[in-house]
Amino acid sequence: MAVNPARDLPRLAAVIGIGVFALLPMAKLPAFYDSFLYLVFFWISLSTSWTLLSGFAGYFSLGHAAFFGIGMYATAVLSAKFDVPFLLTLPVAAAIPALLAVGIGAVVFRLRRLRGELFALLTLAVTFVIATIVLNTPIDGGGGIVMSAVPLPAIMPTPTGSIYALGFVLCVGTLAIAWKVAHSRLGMGLFAIHDDEDVAEAKGVPTFRYKLSAFALSAGIAGAVGGVHAMYVGFLTVSGTFELTVPLYVVLMSVIGGSRSWFGPAIGAAFITTLLYAFISGGEAMIGRALVGVILIVAILWLPDGLVPALKKWLARRRPAIAKPAIVHVAPVVATARPLGERVLLQVRGAAKRFGGLQALAGVDLDVREGEILGLVGPNGSGKTTLINVISGFYPLSGGTITIDGAEIGHVPAHAIARRGVARTYQIPRPFVNMTVLDNVILAATFGGPPRRAADIRDEALHWIGFTGLAGKEDVLPAGLNLHERKFLELARALAAKPKLLLLDEVLSGLNPAEVDNAIRLVRAIRAQGATIVFVEHLMRAVIELSDRIAVLNEGKLFALGAPRDVMRDPRVVSIYLGKAYAA
Amino acid sequence: MLLEARHLHVGYGDAPAVWDVSLDVGAGEIVSVIGPNGAGKTTLINAIAGLLRCRQGELRFDGAEMTTVKAHDYCSHGIALVPEGRRLFVKMSVEENLELGCYLSAARAGRAQSLEKVYGLFPILRDKRGQPAGELSGGQQQMVAIGRALMARPRIVLFDEPSLGLAPTIVDDMFDIIAKVRQDGAAVLLVEQNVLKALEVADRAYVLEQGRIVAEGLPAELLKQPHIREAYLGV
Amino acid sequence: MPSVTLLGQALISGVLAGGLYGLLAMGLSLSWGLLRLVNLSHFALAFLAAYIVYELGTNYHVEPWWSAAMVVPAMFAIGAGQHWLFDRFKVNELGSLLMTFSFAVILEVAIQLYWTADFRRYETEYATRSLKVGPFYIPVLDLTLCIVAGALAWGTWLWLRQTYVGKALRAAAEDPEIAAAYGVNHKKLAYLLSGIGAAYAGVAGTFIALIATLAPAQIWTYLGVVFAVVIIGRLGNPLGALLAGMLIGASESLAQAVLSPAWSPIVSFSVLIVILLWDPEWL
Repeated sequence: MAVNPARDLPRLAAVIGIGVFALLPMAKLPAFYDSFLYLVFFWISLSTSWTLLSGFAGYFSLGHAAFFGIGMYATAVLSAKFDVPFLLTLPVAAAIPALLAVGIGAVVFRLRRLRGELFALLTLAVTFVIATIVLNTPIDGGGGIVMSAVPLPAIMPTPTGSIYALGFVLCVGTLAIAWKVAHSRLGMGLFAIHDDEDVAEAKGVPTFRYKLSAFALSAGIAGAVGGVHAMYVGFLTVSGTFELTVPLYVVLMSVIGGSRSWFGPAIGAAFITTLLYAFISGGEAMIGRALVGVILIVAILWLPDGLVPALKKWLARRRPAIAKPAIVHVAPVVATARPLGERVLLQVRGAAKRFGGLQALAGVDLDVREGEILGLVGPNGSGKTTLINVISGFYPLSGGTITIDGAEIGHVPAHAIARRGVARTYQIPRPFVNMTVLDNVILAATFGGPPRRAADIRDEALHWIGFTGLAGKEDVLPAGLNLHERKFLELARALAAKPKLLLLDEVLSGLNPAEVDNAIRLVRAIRAQGATIVFVEHLMRAVIELSDRIAVLNEGKLFALGAPRDVMRDPRVVSIYLGKAYAA
Repeated sequence: MLLEARHLHVGYGDAPAVWDVSLDVGAGEIVSVIGPNGAGKTTLINAIAGLLRCRQGELRFDGAEMTTVKAHDYCSHGIALVPEGRRLFVKMSVEENLELGCYLSAARAGRAQSLEKVYGLFPILRDKRGQPAGELSGGQQQMVAIGRALMARPRIVLFDEPSLGLAPTIVDDMFDIIAKVRQDGAAVLLVEQNVLKALEVADRAYVLEQGRIVAEGLPAELLKQPHIREAYLGV
Repeated sequence: MPSVTLLGQALISGVLAGGLYGLLAMGLSLSWGLLRLVNLSHFALAFLAAYIVYELGTNYHVEPWWSAAMVVPAMFAIGAGQHWLFDRFKVNELGSLLMTFSFAVILEVAIQLYWTADFRRYETEYATRSLKVGPFYIPVLDLTLCIVAGALAWGTWLWLRQTYVGKALRAAAEDPEIAAAYGVNHKKLAYLLSGIGAAYAGVAGTFIALIATLAPAQIWTYLGVVFAVVIIGRLGNPLGALLAGMLIGASESLAQAVLSPAWSPIVSFSVLIVILLWDPEWL
């Protein structure tokens, strides 16, 4: 493999850095330095573990002290009261909080419309409850636990050195896990959940499972960190362990550093810890705390995304924009052109959906044939978008059945429907706002389509970006696109999943006439590739032009179905749009 | 003219935009803007109500230039909105919702009188005055929304899709109320999907399609032209 | 099982102690419920007020009630000033939480630098007075606190329900755009409300000075339970905050009497968890 300085230099630096820090205790520095560096590692591990769920997926937890504290007490109780060797207690210290997180998550993540504050408060309240239980049961009993009798494995020449080494291992391990997660499917899914959970689910991300995994991982690491920390503090008390300032510092460190980046929290943690302890020696700890407070306020006001993103932006601005060659080679995707046949791809039977007292769908029967474009129209409130939402699994059906290729999907979670080849777009584009255009499409291709190699997925994503005319915008964030381009990004994401059935919800609304013509050409091109399309649209000229058949919904029922011009001239249809008098 | 819009351009985020729209409403007139869903009707009326900034163009109300006026000062000029989907303060009682309509001191002075008038128009609201507005039926909520606007003693009432989601018989009642509002002396700008109803009640009308005015004129004339049919049915 | 008299006394002390929770919760509840801003520095402001009352009383022999008359308006000004920052930088709910945490840390440091970390006790003649009703003792200060808290809660509640400004605030909390369409200048009212919230911290601080022993780290002791009280009492509802405070105070006190003192926090937080899981829309 050729030497690539851009890639290999950071790696080399990382290896050297890890080596130097790992061997540092051998130098027998004064214990103060070992402790100080241990604390830096400690906060890095803790804030990085927090960010796995809260930073990546956006569920801000204020309960990190609970997981960390349970880890501390697990190690302390096992080693001090039951004489379990210290190192053996660490897996337990990680496992209990992870299990607790799974338990909490299994309840909380099922709540429909779980708001961010609610999650933060619930996790905070859990912390207090656990602290009270620990305090009042023999786990602690109110007297605290002394760790001095627990033998510390002599990893390093000095005890502080050994603790340092353990802290360092955890720190590197945590960062490695964070890196791995950030560059995996899991991380991609979590980032998508952060931006728009419903869309992530619709694109095939198993959101519930991913959130649980991230929560368990986050809590487990915090527990292991707590286990080592029990040894560091030597004497555990409930009030010192389940402290409110722990989650607050963790949040602040991550936010200051940049909580969506795998190494942002580490930078924030190193920065703040150094600041906090820089003043201890001079007896000016209080000034140090106040200074941290001031810096935090300034950072929140001026760098709301954190240091790392701000630095990246600054670097990007300093670096002269390299004129990128337009993508010339786009890997061809073989279109499996299917003839317009009589085979029914989507079958809807008696589909009903009610919201409280409102019957949005009152038993819709509809067959969509393979390869056709079906226009779905009807007056406001007739149930068009609801039908799209039940087919794509955003809402479960209240009654009836929906099958695709013969498989029932009426009660299947949205991500599973997406994997069976149903893709949709949104009337108001809902891109993942913190992901580039390319990443948006890659996500859809990764979770929607069949399993493929990352390089293939990337090529395909580039193909669809080119197909929808977005070439050259791959690295742009959605905020940098206009409405027209965002609508096309919706299409690119839907196409990248290689859907059997494409549901388009008002792709044309809000576009100007030239953009509408462009969009119509694109939908034709999509159809030429063999996709089956159901589209909801209000711009009737376009519906007539594009559809093979039109289905008219009215009051939650199929009202008319047939060739476009025939249907729209049908006096019954005219009357529901314009009134009986007009039809006459 | 009471309200004059000239070459308005409005657009925000991902909502439908309107381009180069000019329209007039005279004192005591009922003017309807009809058009299919997604044509930009709500965007247009929100801009006239001051909820959205115009990107370009002029908006004059009774001679005053409105594009530089702050959103919370529109009401003091005599503009009141009955928004799409009603947008009541659902946790507050019916009467509190109505009272919000006369928040400004000029209207506040006539609170008791205005309340009597609104309760006269909608007797059912008097019985439900203490209930949270969110607990009312759709039709009753629409009454509260209209009542709230009337409490402001407006010179023009902007109605945004008053018939949306209501049963046909209640729709008829709503349009009767709109006619009554005009009898009371206020002008009306009505944005509606329901073509026949909107044209029946209007003195003049505009057809909005894809963010542009494609036709305007007297209701009877518009009905004869193909614009409406094309906009709504595509054929 | 403790005697009935003991339980009765625990109940009374609990309700009275809950008055302070309620008083502290009120300002938080208003700004969180009606402005969607979470002010963690509320407790630090209360303690700042408490220290000032202590200082004025101990060193300058100013009657606490006169000190309060100076401190409460000053707190109002600080609250409005904080709101300027929120407003100027368009701080959201989470940002306000992190920012006010930093405020609290800075205030804690300032207090510690001036008054040191030592415990301070404001000795007044009021502290020892109590009424005897039947077999029960009612400390006069706690009773005064509850009466003041009750009056404030009731007054604020009426203000929010009966006045145009109050209704406008509630309306703007639901739909600021439509409220503005009817002439509500939400920005201006938000300053007023932020000031009022901080002023309540000043009132609470006056009583903290009289009742409690002061230390800078005490700022954080009320945080957990008062947050639970704010939510249980429903955001934006001052009467709810006071009643929830008294309820939590009483249940804590009973838990202390029946079980052991250390079990008491579990009451408020279990109630909180159950409420939030039972009705996520409660917030």
